Amino acid sequence: MSSRSLRHRIAIVFVGLLVLVMGLVLALVHHSSARIVERETRRELAVGAKVFQRLLEQNQRQLETAAAVLSADFAFREAIATQDQPTVRSVIRNHGQRIHAQVMMVADTDGKLIATTQRASASGDPFPFPDLLAAAEAQGRSAGLRQMRNGQLYQVVLVPILAPTRIAWVAMGFHVDDRWASDMAGVTGLGVRIVRPGMPGALASSGASDSAHDASVNVPLDGGLQAELRLPVAQVQAPFEQLQGRLLGVIAAAVAVFAAGSVMLAGRIVRPLNDLSAAARRIAQGDYAQPLPPAPRDEIGQLAGSFEQMRMEIASREERIARLAYVDALTDLPNRTRFLEAFGLLTPGAGGAVMVVNVDRFALINNALGHLVGDRLLRAVAGQLQPLVPPGGMLARLWGDQFAFLLEGAGLDAARRFADTVLAALRDPVTLDGQRLDIEAGVGIALYPDDGLDAATLLRRAELALATAKRRHAGVAFAQETGGEPAHEQLSLIGDMRRALAAGEFTLAYQPKLALGSGRVVAVEALLRWQHPERGSIAPARFIPFAEQTGFIREITPWVLESSVRQAAAWHAAGLDIAVSANLSTLDLLDPHLGRRVRDLLDRYAVPARRLCLEITESALMDDPALAQAHLDELAGLGIKLSIDDYGVGQASLAYLKSLPVDELKLDRSFITAITESPRNAAIVESTIMLSHALGLTVVAEGVETPAELRWLREHGCDIAQGYGIGRPMTAAQLQDWLADFRLGTVA
Amino acid sequence: MRPLVPLLFAAALRAGSAGAVNVEVLVQTPAGMPLADAAVLVEPLAGTPVRPRARAHAAIEQRGREFVPWMTVVQTGASVDFPNNDTIRHHVYSFSEPKRFEIKLYAGKPGQPVVFDKPGRVDIGCNIHDWMEAHVLVVDTPYFARTGADGRAAITSVPAGRYRVRPWHPLQKAAGAPQDIEVDDAPARMTLVLDARPRQTRPHSEDDPDRY
Repeated sequence: MSSRSLRHRIAIVFVGLLVLVMGLVLALVHHSSARIVERETRRELAVGAKVFQRLLEQNQRQLETAAAVLSADFAFREAIATQDQPTVRSVIRNHGQRIHAQVMMVADTDGKLIATTQRASASGDPFPFPDLLAAAEAQGRSAGLRQMRNGQLYQVVLVPILAPTRIAWVAMGFHVDDRWASDMAGVTGLGVRIVRPGMPGALASSGASDSAHDASVNVPLDGGLQAELRLPVAQVQAPFEQLQGRLLGVIAAAVAVFAAGSVMLAGRIVRPLNDLSAAARRIAQGDYAQPLPPAPRDEIGQLAGSFEQMRMEIASREERIARLAYVDALTDLPNRTRFLEAFGLLTPGAGGAVMVVNVDRFALINNALGHLVGDRLLRAVAGQLQPLVPPGGMLARLWGDQFAFLLEGAGLDAARRFADTVLAALRDPVTLDGQRLDIEAGVGIALYPDDGLDAATLLRRAELALATAKRRHAGVAFAQETGGEPAHEQLSLIGDMRRALAAGEFTLAYQPKLALGSGRVVAVEALLRWQHPERGSIAPARFIPFAEQTGFIREITPWVLESSVRQAAAWHAAGLDIAVSANLSTLDLLDPHLGRRVRDLLDRYAVPARRLCLEITESALMDDPALAQAHLDELAGLGIKLSIDDYGVGQASLAYLKSLPVDELKLDRSFITAITESPRNAAIVESTIMLSHALGLTVVAEGVETPAELRWLREHGCDIAQGYGIGRPMTAAQLQDWLADFRLGTVA
Repeated sequence: MRPLVPLLFAAALRAGSAGAVNVEVLVQTPAGMPLADAAVLVEPLAGTPVRPRARAHAAIEQRGREFVPWMTVVQTGASVDFPNNDTIRHHVYSFSEPKRFEIKLYAGKPGQPVVFDKPGRVDIGCNIHDWMEAHVLVVDTPYFARTGADGRAAITSVPAGRYRVRPWHPLQKAAGAPQDIEVDDAPARMTLVLDARPRQTRPHSEDDPDRY
């Protein structure tokens, strides 16, 4: 298991190396000690064995000399010469005591015992050690270790008794017992045991330990005996073991000191590194503020210095990057990105408001006075808005002349009050280069979480509200007033619409347009219907504005056109003289391929152009009048009838409409609904009909519901009427039945 | 073996003369070396009359810290003097069975000679000088002699008759084989073989008076 800490590794390496070296030293000492002990043991054994042998010889010689002196004693010889048993026994006992011999024996020259101190033997028995006798015959005297009949071991010395010729032998036995062995052990320093090989037990022993760890040497003795000289190895080892013990103690102390030292050293090395590492973590987390702790003036200190420099440079660079990324260079306000991020950091669940502020006619000023003035104007506006930012709130410039406030915790009323403050502040004129500029602004407000949960949605809703506010010239509008569907339903609708188009859930319903002059149905308006498999029939007002907002209408319109043209072709082929009207949205009108697409349809289905009518709202024309006119001219060139839908709601003037290749004017239903009750409405409708006719336009009245209205319209010269009062929107098949019934007069 | 006839012949030439040598014996070791200091005993066999002899006398003197002679043969009943010719005193003793005696420290000639009244061998030593030894062979026969350095012994005045000739030596390993002879006027010569170690002078520990 390897430690990952540098500090531990340093300590482990240092201590490990020391332990290794010390271990080697110890092993060497141990090995040498073992060898010395072995050699010492061998040497001591050899010396001891030599001493033992020498001692044994000396001992023997002394005993021989003593015995010789004794045997030369005149009285002794005289007594022996008497051959009188009791006398001889007595004298040998007496003289034996003189030289401390435990056993005395006298044998004649033929080897027969004359007398002995041994009870077991009697005179006349043969001398028990004939080999000693033989040796003495040859050398004059002899000696040796012999076991007596009593089992005891004796050093036996055999000398002649000369008178002056040899008249007898006297043998003297000196007990070789444990005491003797102990004496020998005392001189040799070795344990002494006299044994007979193959026989258990010792004949004499110094009582030394019989340990298996003893080293021993065997010295062969005469008489088939053996001296075992033992040296306890532990005795030799003891000083070395003591030395090793002390060495071990010194090593342990050294390792401890080394360990402590290396841990301290490692600590001193590692502490600044840990400080650096902590600082690096802080920097990684984006905290550049804290300077590094002071470090020693060594390599690590240099590293720390470089690190500190890096920290400061990264901090300054990041500040610059953050500035570039989050600050609007023109106004020094937070930019859109910063605004979105700030929104993301809001306390979840708390409410608040997103407010979009837009300077009116800024494009005009920019175009008229130049970009420099425009930029200065924006800076001035920023300067006016900046002081208004409440604590915890934020002001950002989104783009162009679009500013946004983030008001945390603001409800509907607070937001309205704040919007009023903003508008009031902007009402102060701005003076640039002595030029006084009156500016006005619009404010759109989206509240969260009611109008959306994410910043992008809220900004979009607020911008939509801003557009509404501008349209109404109201100054302030709330997102919820724009009537948008709840966001989640809209999101599901866009998916649903795409699926519905593919699944054929869209259908066209046809509402008859009755020519009041002839009493004949001359045309039908194709109206989009959506039969949702789960929600049932979805009202056009619920999805068509959304399709227009999202642009999905550009996918629906081609289908509507093709279906309408196909139906027109079918009726044409069936001999019915009915034109089909289809609605175009603003986006459709701006589609550069619109003309070509319509022409292709007419060609493909072989429908005469006059059988197709396209209805366009006033507002669709107003968004880009020039492009709208170009496209309308192209369509008109095809021979298609063009109709202005919902006339009267917008601000388009008849004079403007006259410049367009328009054939028909459809009066908004709001005028028609009240004509029979409101003389004022009636007057407006009547004058409009007259004016239209004067301009060569056909007038269509929408939303005709009652026979009275129908009658009034007919009386006042309206050309065509449309509404529930005449016929509801219906399928193509139903329409044919309806037409048949209508001709029979059942409807009217 | 030497031819016996010329020897016998030569002996016959000197027969009859009183005190004359009539038995000559050469004692040899089995190796053929002449054996000195050996006793040669001529013992009359049954039927041969023994001529009585006057009581004999012998002396074993001590000279130069040695007994001289080393070996002495005496007839039973003979008395032996032990004159001390050294300047130091001697203590002569014998523990041998035929004659035990002790002449304690003395100088000159002891008052009483030692009478050897039993036949047998008597070993004599000095209690002061361990190396000194003398051997006395006490025999019943009056006819005996001691071999010289050449191993020869001459026995005189042996009457005619049948005898057994026997050698003896203090250091003999075994008794020598005797030989029977017929002694008449003619001198008899013979060679006897005896296995014995020749005398070896034991070292004197006091040879050098200035040693101490």
